[in-house]
Amino acid sequence: MTTADTAKIELFDAMTSVKKDRVLAAVKDARSVMKPTEIIDALAVGMQEVGTRFERGKLFLPHVISAADAMNAAVAVLDKDLPRDGAGKQLPSVVIGTIEGDVHDIGKTIVSTMLQCAGYDVHDLGRDVPSRTFLDTVKEHDARLVGMSALMTTTMRNQMEVIGLLKEEGLRPKVKVMVGGAPATQAWADKIGADGYGENASIAVRKANELLQVGEVTQ
Amino acid sequence: MGMPTTHILTSGMSGIRAAGDLVARMEFARGMRIKEAKECVAKKLGVGTADLSDEYVMRDLREELGLGVITSVAGAPKGFAAKMNIEKLLGTKINCCEKFRQQLR
Amino acid sequence: MTTEYKLRRGDGKRIVMTRAQIMEDLRAGTADAAELGSIPQLTEDELDKLADILTAPGRMVGVEEGMEVPVTHDIGTIRLDGDQGNSGVGIPASRLVGMMFHERALGADTMELGHIDYSFKPVKPIIAQEMQAMEVCQQNMIVPLLYGAMPNMGLYYTPDGPCENPGDLMKAFKIKEAQDSTMKAAEHLTRDMVWIMQRMMRSGADGVNFDTTAAAGDGDFYATLKAVKTLRQEFPEMFIEVGMAGELVLGMHGEVEYDGKLLAGLWPHEQVEMVAKAGASIFGPVVNTSTSRSSPWNLARAVTFVKAAVKASPIPCHVNMGMGVGGIPMFETPTIDAVSRASKAMVEVAGVDGI
Repeated sequence: MTTADTAKIELFDAMTSVKKDRVLAAVKDARSVMKPTEIIDALAVGMQEVGTRFERGKLFLPHVISAADAMNAAVAVLDKDLPRDGAGKQLPSVVIGTIEGDVHDIGKTIVSTMLQCAGYDVHDLGRDVPSRTFLDTVKEHDARLVGMSALMTTTMRNQMEVIGLLKEEGLRPKVKVMVGGAPATQAWADKIGADGYGENASIAVRKANELLQVGEVTQ
Repeated sequence: MGMPTTHILTSGMSGIRAAGDLVARMEFARGMRIKEAKECVAKKLGVGTADLSDEYVMRDLREELGLGVITSVAGAPKGFAAKMNIEKLLGTKINCCEKFRQQLR
Repeated sequence: MTTEYKLRRGDGKRIVMTRAQIMEDLRAGTADAAELGSIPQLTEDELDKLADILTAPGRMVGVEEGMEVPVTHDIGTIRLDGDQGNSGVGIPASRLVGMMFHERALGADTMELGHIDYSFKPVKPIIAQEMQAMEVCQQNMIVPLLYGAMPNMGLYYTPDGPCENPGDLMKAFKIKEAQDSTMKAAEHLTRDMVWIMQRMMRSGADGVNFDTTAAAGDGDFYATLKAVKTLRQEFPEMFIEVGMAGELVLGMHGEVEYDGKLLAGLWPHEQVEMVAKAGASIFGPVVNTSTSRSSPWNLARAVTFVKAAVKASPIPCHVNMGMGVGGIPMFETPTIDAVSRASKAMVEVAGVDGI
């Protein structure tokens, strides 16, 4: 007989198997013993584990995408039973891109994907993004976080420009800023007044959660 | 700039100042690991492996064998001339020397 | 009172640690590498040696006499005449002057000709310029001179290239389309790298340095291995160096194989097997520095990975030790004390054939 504990384990295992059918089957079984929000939370823990395994080379990007697809399918199934506020609410909008003059985007793409998997409404601007485009997109989507990647010491200076524009528009108090990319460090983030620095994708997601006060889900 | 110079001073063989270029050629050309490459070059030069990074030993030896010297000595082989002497010493073919020979009429 | 030693953090900032703290971080660093790569940890003797190197009193250290190794270079002369994020110091010198400067003033054992953009794709339209530069440099140089560039497969994706960006396709859950686009880009990249190096060999290059291989993941690695194999078949004597971009080959495609082996998820001791099989002469393992960790942690981790690669490798290994790799801090001007210690550690503990 399914209990909440066994259901939780199967939800975790199903998510880390990255198979949509298995995830949907686990969700169906779990519904009799868990609340929809608890099911989502359990799946989110599995999703975090998928991210960790990706960082450690045990899973690859298609697996992460498959897991995200499975997560979306699970949320769609549970949607009508989710409360209209609280834990069922969509996470905030985030804007992410590689800074102007820089065309490197592999790391940024991974972070963008992981944020999407974590439930954020991600607006990925791509690469070589002018500073003003970051600002305009933040305003358009009422984003709460902007993430900027730079892979060169010359282009990373544009990250300061975006922070300056946010201040000029009076948006800085409500928009968190994260920076990343090979030459970026915590010291750089502190120097330019960014709120956070993500050394890798998993850390970036955790930092985003902290900054936006999205609760840490534990098993 | 500080980084390459630091590596060279800490761990490097210092190129044509000693015999670093010759050891590098054997690693690349014959797939030799460091110990084997050093032994091979040392044997061809008639010195010990420890001498390969010793400027005192290598400076005169390089001039004597026409392998190219780091200071700009008038009359000492440079460029292709030095490399052709290196070809003879190491028993290898150097691509740019081949191209040079093909251009001669 | 316990002695404290001044060391560095991964971002170059000064920190102080006791010997006990240093040993703890060394053990944690080697354990992390061992767990990730399923490779042996460093022995207690080796960790003690690393601790001795790290706590040596002088600003610089040096390898024991007789243990010197060749130092090969990447980024060509950009470190002199460049200043666009590649640590260049902005001296307007010609590339010939830069080459000879490295050979005669810096004691380089080999050198590399590269162009300011330093990726393969932009070389095609300026190939005549590169060929001429190689010919002129070879007339004046004595050390082996390679042509170097980065595969940088990202340049073949939209908007800069002909193939749809697989990252965008993946996020739209179009996995198969993303994988197809990756392989198309790989085809373009292999073709271009081979084409370029065929011409550089005609101009007398000693060989090629593929720098930051696999930066765009497993597809990028596949493209480079295919280029290496093709070039080796056409030029049996060519010097081919393959330097990686990180300790892990990212599975951006996830299913691409070379010679029956999945490329995603490979660690340095596994990468070298593929690189050697393709026909490379030298392998350059890379281990990225964690900016929030101490230099003992970073160095032990890097040495553990590189030692395993050196042991597994049938070809010489020249460990990549630039900004933010090989135990060196991620900082525009990496501190001399940290670079020197990492350099000595890689030679004496990891046993590399060059740097």
